[in-house]
Amino acid sequence: MHKIIHIARKEIMHIRRDVRSLFIAILMPLLMTFLYGYAINLDIKNIKLGVLDFDKSVESRELVTKYFSSGYFIPAESQVQLDDPERVLKLTDAHVVLVIKPGFAEALANRTEYQVGLLLDGADANLAAAAGNYAAAVFNQYLVSMLPPGMELPGVTMSHQVLYNPDLKSSHFFVPGLVGVILMMISALLTSITIAREKETGTLEQLLTSPVTPRQIIIGKVLPYIGLALFDGLLVYGFAILHFHVPMTGSNLLLFVFGVIYVIAALSIGVLISTLVKTQQLAMMAALTVTMLPSVMLSGFVFEIKNMPLFLQWVTSIIPAKYFILIIRGIMLKGSGIEVLWPQAAVLIVMTLVLLGIAAKKFKMKIG
Amino acid sequence: MSRAVDVVDLTKKFGDFTAVNSISLSVETGEIFGFLGANGAGKTTAIRMLCGLLLPTSGSGTVAGYDIYKENEKIKHSIGYMSQKFSLYPDLTGMENLTFYGSVYRIPRKQLKDRIDKVIETLSLADFIDRPSMALPVGWRQRLALGAAILHEPKILFLDEPTGGVDPVFRRRFWEMLYRLAEAGTTLFVTTHYMDEAEFCGRISIMHRGEIVELGNPKELIKKHGQPDLQETFISLISAEANNA
Amino acid sequence: MRTILALVRKEFYQVFRDRNMLRMIFLMPMIQLLILGYAINVDVKNIRTAFYDYDNSSLSREYIRDFSSGGYFITTASDIPLPDVNEAFTENRFDAAIIIPEDFSENIYTGQGVTAGMIVDATNANSAAISMGYAGLITARFNSDYSALASPITMRQRLLYNPEAESVYYMVPGIVAVLLTMITVMLTSMAIVREREMGTLEQLMVTPISTPAFILGKTIPFAILGYIEMSIALAFGILWFNIPFAGSWLLLYGVAFVFLFTTLGVGMFISTVTGTQQQAMFFAWFFSIFAILTSGFFNPISNMPESVQYLTYLNPLRYFMAIVRGIMMKGAGVLELYRDIGSLVVFSLSIFTFAWMRFSKRVE
Repeated sequence: MHKIIHIARKEIMHIRRDVRSLFIAILMPLLMTFLYGYAINLDIKNIKLGVLDFDKSVESRELVTKYFSSGYFIPAESQVQLDDPERVLKLTDAHVVLVIKPGFAEALANRTEYQVGLLLDGADANLAAAAGNYAAAVFNQYLVSMLPPGMELPGVTMSHQVLYNPDLKSSHFFVPGLVGVILMMISALLTSITIAREKETGTLEQLLTSPVTPRQIIIGKVLPYIGLALFDGLLVYGFAILHFHVPMTGSNLLLFVFGVIYVIAALSIGVLISTLVKTQQLAMMAALTVTMLPSVMLSGFVFEIKNMPLFLQWVTSIIPAKYFILIIRGIMLKGSGIEVLWPQAAVLIVMTLVLLGIAAKKFKMKIG
Repeated sequence: MSRAVDVVDLTKKFGDFTAVNSISLSVETGEIFGFLGANGAGKTTAIRMLCGLLLPTSGSGTVAGYDIYKENEKIKHSIGYMSQKFSLYPDLTGMENLTFYGSVYRIPRKQLKDRIDKVIETLSLADFIDRPSMALPVGWRQRLALGAAILHEPKILFLDEPTGGVDPVFRRRFWEMLYRLAEAGTTLFVTTHYMDEAEFCGRISIMHRGEIVELGNPKELIKKHGQPDLQETFISLISAEANNA
Repeated sequence: MRTILALVRKEFYQVFRDRNMLRMIFLMPMIQLLILGYAINVDVKNIRTAFYDYDNSSLSREYIRDFSSGGYFITTASDIPLPDVNEAFTENRFDAAIIIPEDFSENIYTGQGVTAGMIVDATNANSAAISMGYAGLITARFNSDYSALASPITMRQRLLYNPEAESVYYMVPGIVAVLLTMITVMLTSMAIVREREMGTLEQLMVTPISTPAFILGKTIPFAILGYIEMSIALAFGILWFNIPFAGSWLLLYGVAFVFLFTTLGVGMFISTVTGTQQQAMFFAWFFSIFAILTSGFFNPISNMPESVQYLTYLNPLRYFMAIVRGIMMKGAGVLELYRDIGSLVVFSLSIFTFAWMRFSKRVE
C-alpha cells in the first residue's frame, strides 16, 4: 500500500509538472461542454428562406409573413436582380426558395388549381427534410386560415405530451452524454500515454528492478488518473446542472458508483493499449482510434444507434461508452433506478472485469 | 590566418541565472583545445554560443573569423558539431543519415559520394553503415555522429562530451581519429570529464560556475599547482573555488 | 532547393519505415470514413411507436397506416396498459406513443373534430421535435383526405443537388475536410517537436540550413501526405459510398492547397508552444475539435446561437467545409464560392505568415 502511494505521488508530480497537458486535460472538457451544449444543436431552426414573389398581391405577402413568423424561417440575404430560383439557391445563402407565380390571389379566391413552388437545397438531407416538412405545415396552416368562416377543418388535431425534456433542449441530451466521453478520454488516453512514456524513457525498467510488484506499479500509476478523470467528469456534470439546467431526477450515488466502474473499464483499456505499443505517439493514435472515435461516434452520444446499419449496431455493443451513456441519461433525465438499468449495468460490470483481467495479465506477461 | 576562436567577455544569462560569466579565450588554428569543468559549470552553454545556437547576452568575438552576432550563418559552414546526446535520426540508417547531412551542408552531389566513402574508411564504419542507427552500440553511434559532423570538412569541430558512455578501447580509437583530424589542420574544441583525454589536449581551460578559473597546457598546470596529475589539479582547483564562494 | 529535397526525402524515409505509423496514416482515414459515413446519420427514422387504438375502426386503422407507411414511424407492439406507459419509456421500449380515443371515427364523420394524443420521449430533443413535426404533417394529410376540404391549391417541393436525400452524400465531403485538418496539423506539429525531443533539431541548427528551407522541408512532406490522404478518402467515398462529384477536381485540389497553408501553419505554431510530442498531440487535437465542431460539419451554422456563429467566422475549416461541399455536391465554381475562397485565402496566408514569423531558428 505504501509503495502504491509513493508511485501515485510521483505520478501526481509528473502531472503537475506538465502544465500544458494539465491545461488541456481541464480545458478540453470545458471546451467540449460548451461546444456540444451550444454549437451542436440539431433542432432545425433559422432556415434561410429566399422568396420570389411574382404575384405581389396582399395574399402572397401574407403567406410570406406567415413563413417568417412561424419561428422556423428567417429571410435569406436578398439579391433583387435574381429571378431564377436555382440561381438564388446558388448565389445567396438561402437554404430554401419559395416561388409564388402570378395568379396566387386569384386562384385562392376562385378555388382554382394552382401550385406554389418550393426549391430546397438538398445537400444537407436532414436540413432539407425538416425544412420541407415545416414549409408544408406552414402552408397548410395558411390555407386553413384563409377558409371562409364555417368551413374550418373538423378533422383530427393532435395534443402532445413531451416526456423528460419538455423544453426540447439539445443540451439536455448532449451534455450528460459528454460525461461518458470525457471520462473515457481522460482515463484511456492519459494512462496509455503515461505508461508508454515510462517505457520510452526506460524508467519503467528502473521501477521494475525495485521491489515493487507490477500490480503495485499499475495501481499507483492509474490512481491519480482516476482522480483526474472523476474531477473532469464532475466538472462537466456541474456545468450540466448549473449552467445548462439539465434536471437530475435520479440518484447521485448510483451515478457515482457507475461512474467509478466505467472509469475502471476505461483505465483498463488504457493499460491494455500501453502493453501493446512502444511509443507515446502510437499510444495516442491507438487510444484515439480505439476509444475516442467510437465513444463519440458509435455510442449513441450524438447519433442514434438504431439508425445505423446492422453490422455497425453490432459493433456498438462492445463499446463501454454506449452503456454508460444510457445509464447517465436514464438516471439524470428519466430518474431510472437500478431496477430499470440493471441490464446496462450488468454489461458494464462484466466488461470492466474482463478488461481489468486482460490488462493485468497482459501487463504481467510483458514484464516477465 | 586569424584565430579559430576568439571571444572576449562572453556572458549568457537565463533570467536571473548567469550560466556563463564573462569568459575570454582564444584558440589557434589546428589546436586541440580542452574544455573542462564540473557538471553545470557552463561548458555546454559556452559551446552553444560559439556554434550560434544561443545568442550571447553580452560580450563579443569571432569563430572562424566571423562575428558571432552578425555572421552566424557563415560560421555554420565552417564548423562541425557533435553533442553529448546522440543526435542523428535513430530510425534512419547510417548511410541515410550521412547523405542527409551532406545534402544539408550542400556538398555537391558528385563530391558527396567520395566524401562519404572517405569518412566510412577513416572511421571504419563500413560494417554498420546500412543498419538503422538505433540498432548500433553506443560507441559506433558516436563514431557515426562524428562522421556526420566532419563530412563537410569543417575548419573547427566542436565536440561536447563526445565519448560519454563509451568503453576505453573505443575512446582510445576515437581520440586517434581526432588526432588525425587535427594533423590535417582541423581545430578541435572538446569538452570532457575524462582527465586522460584532457591530457591529449594542447591547452585546456577549467570552468567553474560560469567562469574560467585556469587556462594553459595540461603539464604546465600540473606543475604550477604542484599536484601529481591532472585529476588532482582539477579537484584541488574546483574545491578551492568552492571554498572561496 | 537541394536542402529542402533532402529534408523531404528524410521525412518520407521516417514515415515509411515506421510500419505502425504508416498503418495509422493510411488505415485510420479509411476506418474513420467507413464509421463516420454510416454512423453520422441525423435523419430521424425508425421512431418506435406504440399505438393505443381505443376506436378500432377502419378509419382509425387507416390513420395508423398513414403513420407506419411513411418510413418514419415503425409500429411497436405494447402489452403495457396505457396508465403505466411511462414505465415503458423509462425502460426505453419505444420512442413515442399515439393514443386514439374511442370516439375517433364517430366524431370525424359527424364533423365535430377529435383530438388524438401523442407522447414522445424527448431525451433526444432533436428526434422528438422532428417526430412531432412528422406526426403533425401526417395528421394534416389525413385530414385533407377524410374531411370536406381538399384544397386545389398545393405546394410542390423539389430537392436540388441531392434528390435522394442521402445524408452520406453530405457527410463524406465533410469528412474529407476533417481528415485533412486532423492529419496535417497533428503530423506537422509532432514531427517538429520530435526533432526537438531527440536533439536532432539542435544538430540541424548548427548546419547552414536556412529557416525557409527548414520550414518548407518540414511542411512539404505533410502537405503531400495530406493530398494522398484526401485522395484516398475521396476515392473511397466515390467508389464505396457512390458519392456524386459534380464540380471541378482542379478547383478542389487548388483550394485544398490553400487550406493546407492553414493546417501546416497551425501545426508549426503548435510546435513553437509545446515541448513534447504528447503536448503537441493534445494541442493539435484541441484545435481539431474546436475547428470541427464550429465548422458546420455536423449541423448547419445557422442553427447555432448567434455568439457561436460569430466565432465560426474565425474558423478556416468553416470556409473549406463549405467549399468542398459546394464543389462536390453542387458543382459550384469560383463564381459561387468567391466569398468563401477569399476568406480562406486571407486566413491561410495570415496564419502561415504568423507561424513562420514565430518559428525562430534559434533554440532558446
